[in-house]
Amino acid sequence: MECQDLIKYLSDYIDNRLDEALTHAAQEHLATCSNCHIVLDSTQKTILLYRQRDQQNGLTTRRYQTLYDQLVQAFTKQPEGD
Amino acid sequence: MPCTISLRYVTSAVEKTSNEQVEIAVTDEQALITALKQRDPTALAAVFETYADRIYRLGMNLLHDEQHADCVVQDTFLALIEHIDQFEGRSSLGTWLYRVGYNHCLNQLRKVKPSLELDSLDEPDMMPVNFNPWPAPEEMIFTNEITSELERAIATLSPALRAVFVMRDIEELSTSETAGVLGISESAVKVRLHRARLLLREWLAPYFGEQFEQTGV
Repeated sequence: MECQDLIKYLSDYIDNRLDEALTHAAQEHLATCSNCHIVLDSTQKTILLYRQRDQQNGLTTRRYQTLYDQLVQAFTKQPEGD
Repeated sequence: MPCTISLRYVTSAVEKTSNEQVEIAVTDEQALITALKQRDPTALAAVFETYADRIYRLGMNLLHDEQHADCVVQDTFLALIEHIDQFEGRSSLGTWLYRVGYNHCLNQLRKVKPSLELDSLDEPDMMPVNFNPWPAPEEMIFTNEITSELERAIATLSPALRAVFVMRDIEELSTSETAGVLGISESAVKVRLHRARLLLREWLAPYFGEQFEQTGV
């Protein structure tokens, strides 16, 4: 496998979607190509960083409660309004 | 087949109402939808608890504005309340909510840029050019600077690529679920995800390469 093939299959490799033969070929290439190894490692870290960042993100407690209270009102009123 | 996100809710819902080990598949999502149609507030509470933050994050990642992201959550759940009686379950509730939230985001983006280009499949494939190593994960402690870098990087993606990256890699929807939400083929999801990952990596590489040189770890 050449570098451009590895890059082409990079996402499928990360997601474990390659068949056995291609996975083996990718692993062989990664073992000898430091640049492709760095691209794989840093792409996986990119995904991890965004996932970790967003675990800390969400509605504030106050906004969550306010929004929910408004929605419950609309939710329980709906049938009477029809 | 219900999405995995739905199943997470359904598990807790079943535990709350019954200790029986029942099959937590479509029937339980149907029970949830039935409860919503009967205006059961606990059903709304369960759906809101499961999806409000997810829809908010989708809004934040696509719009980069807290107030607009708030509005996306509000409008998505108001749409649920308004249309629950017509909900036929052709897609899972989770997929439906994401789709509504995503469409609200697109409408907001179009207000700013009416000629918004969504299909970016003609973009050329890219090859990485930066091969500096990155620090070990334990060295990448979240600082305001890192958060800003991540936000700047994701803002450079087109909405089409950003949406796929957010749904697949951040919210961890499956390829099939993401395709269902966006109304595109699974192969288009894969192509866009691949491009989004490589573009983000390339954009962030100089910053984290420098971090590595400084820490040497």
